[in-house]
Amino acid sequence: MSVLARSVGNAFRNKVRTAAVVAVLAVAIGLALAMLVANQAVTGKVAELNASVGTVLTVNPAGGQGFEGGGEPLTSAQAATAAAVPNVSSVVGTKALRLRNAAEIAAGAASGRTGQGGPGGQSATSVTTSLKAAVDAGTLGNRNQAASGTSGTGTTGSTTAAAPAFSLPITATGIGAEVDSTGKGLQLTQGTGLGNYTAASTGALLGTTLAEKNGLNVGSKFTIQDQTFTVKGLFDAGTAFGNNALYVTLPTAQTLAALPGELSTMIVTVNSMENVDAAKAALQAALGSGKADVTQGQRNLQTAVSSLDSVKNISFIAFVAALGTAGLIILLIMVMLVRERRREIGVLKAIGAPNRTIGLQFVLEALVLVALGSVVGAAVASFASGGIASALISSSSSTTATGQRGGTGGFPGGGFPGGQGGPLGGASQLLTSVTASASPGVIAAGIAAVFGVAIIGALVPALLTARIRPIEVLRGE
Amino acid sequence: MIEVKNLVRTFKSGDRNIKPVNDVSFELEQGTLASIVGKSGSGKSTLLSLLGALDKPTSGDVVVNGVSLASMPDGKLTKYRRRDIGFVFQQFALIPNLSAVDNVMLPMEFAGVRKAARAERARQLLEQVQLDPDKHVRRINRLSGGEQQRVAIARALANEPKLILADEPTGNLDEQTGEHIIELLSTLSRDHNTTILVVTHDRALANKTDRRFRLQQGRLTEEPARNRATAAVTG
Ligand SMILES: Nc1ncnc2c1ncn2[C@@H]1O[C@H](COP(=O)(O)OP(=O)(O)O)[C@@H](O)[C@H]1O
Ligand SMILES: [Mg+2]
Repeated sequence: MSVLARSVGNAFRNKVRTAAVVAVLAVAIGLALAMLVANQAVTGKVAELNASVGTVLTVNPAGGQGFEGGGEPLTSAQAATAAAVPNVSSVVGTKALRLRNAAEIAAGAASGRTGQGGPGGQSATSVTTSLKAAVDAGTLGNRNQAASGTSGTGTTGSTTAAAPAFSLPITATGIGAEVDSTGKGLQLTQGTGLGNYTAASTGALLGTTLAEKNGLNVGSKFTIQDQTFTVKGLFDAGTAFGNNALYVTLPTAQTLAALPGELSTMIVTVNSMENVDAAKAALQAALGSGKADVTQGQRNLQTAVSSLDSVKNISFIAFVAALGTAGLIILLIMVMLVRERRREIGVLKAIGAPNRTIGLQFVLEALVLVALGSVVGAAVASFASGGIASALISSSSSTTATGQRGGTGGFPGGGFPGGQGGPLGGASQLLTSVTASASPGVIAAGIAAVFGVAIIGALVPALLTARIRPIEVLRGE
Repeated sequence: MIEVKNLVRTFKSGDRNIKPVNDVSFELEQGTLASIVGKSGSGKSTLLSLLGALDKPTSGDVVVNGVSLASMPDGKLTKYRRRDIGFVFQQFALIPNLSAVDNVMLPMEFAGVRKAARAERARQLLEQVQLDPDKHVRRINRLSGGEQQRVAIARALANEPKLILADEPTGNLDEQTGEHIIELLSTLSRDHNTTILVVTHDRALANKTDRRFRLQQGRLTEEPARNRATAAVTG
């Protein structure tokens, strides 16, 4: 018989009461764990959203966006102005080009189809390449082509009936840093980056599907405007549209377009989420409203993030409260047990038990109860946490849904149904990620916290036993 | 050797003080078997609790082998109870949800005796007090009063104390078992030089002790000494 064995025995002395205590503890512990899981999932998601898009502003020329609209182009001087705005941590200029397969242009000219550069926009001239697009035109592409064919160039001829396969342009973007056109870091799957993005180079990064379509790999060569480029790396943008693209350095793109110092877009990163609104206004003022449009492409996500932030806070408060409740239950139960076993504690002292042995015995007894409560509670939590998280998030996302717009807007081909986020954006994705992330690690951390609180809760009554005098052994005789 | 010096214990009962131990002084040589008789409520249990360091006197002192209990810090008193004292409580004071063996093993556990050794010694002690072997592992609350009393005596002997304080140790025993317990205590004092102080109503037991005290309203008096051998013959 050891202290531990006695503690376990004592924990089961009154089986009905033990069952009741374990049940109550299980509810509190289960709730605490469920809230912790929800909190962790939401915290992770919020961090992810903040890191990726929450602090990024996009600057387009006033009146223009991508290849649409008109107005004056942005310049490198404006990039310097933007960089000087308070709370702006970085400004990345981009220069977008549309690449056309040289052979197809020749074929198109032969069949009387011209003006494939699209309507108006900033790069009316097509830049030719040896690459073939990785995306087939399909119904949407052909419909767009039909529309632009009539309004854009006014050439005669039966556009829809024109048989030669029309293929989509490839988006080439000159970038001033290793980020994609929305400001997210590029996900390179092979090869390296381009090194210095602010110097001209003949390196290029290709989307995985584009490289595959053209049978290219890291080290392969291809041409743009009859100039030879080398594939330095492959990236995966995660969408078919995003992967039908390539990146070169900013000066290279400006040279190819024969428009040095001109930018299509500036991607401005603000130092923190809280400063985004102020920085946006300051940026707009600095650049002049007639010259540039400052947009927050992921506005809807910002709204989602702020509501998720409140879910995060609520779940954390609930976690702490449930944890505190578990601690309080332990405290009260143990105080009750100490009072009830006053005489028995006197017996132990009368036969020479040291205070710490008796205290330890009670702490261990409390931990036995908590261990049982945790097992049942963890089971409860693993069933309930998904439901609780969903309930919390769906109630919060329904309130934000009204403020959300479709798509992410912005960059070249903003009109494309590119699948960059549905109407519910982050929130609906979040639901799946929340249920998926009830990891054993989080549960273990939660149970560790529960045990910590239980030890604190049990310590008070355990210390009370030190005050009980051995003469209690004679009480009630 | 135990010296009791002007021991007083006062309790407040309502607005008046009662003194169940009132200026008690005596000395016992090591190995003495002594008895205390007295009416119910005369202060016998209170006196034993002071000698066993379960309680602190209002005034006076108990000196054990030259060391004063009054000067000992609580930690030392705990050690004194654990190593030097074997207490047989009037109401047994056993842990009800533990078995007889586990109860007897408890003081040895606190004294740091190894598990195998304490199990073996507990079994021997329970045999000495004549508890049926099949009842050794039975829970205390499934044992009769007499059986519990014998477990309580076995527990008091566990750490081979120098002083055994026994409060009515034969009160619940039949005559034959009572005789046996008296023999056991007698042997301990004679062969193991254990000092034993027994509170009893049992004249036969009192007559077999080396020294006999009477407690009356908190005051202790000693009755004329009787030769132990003679007592055994005439008792
Ligand atoms: N803690 C206490 N508080 C008040 N009175 C007490 C307390 N303990 C004992 N007494 C009283 O002291 C007297 C002696 O009690 P006790 O020593 O148990 O007598 P005995 O064992 O001789 O029957 C009794 O009157 C009892 O009520
Ligand atoms: Mg008594």
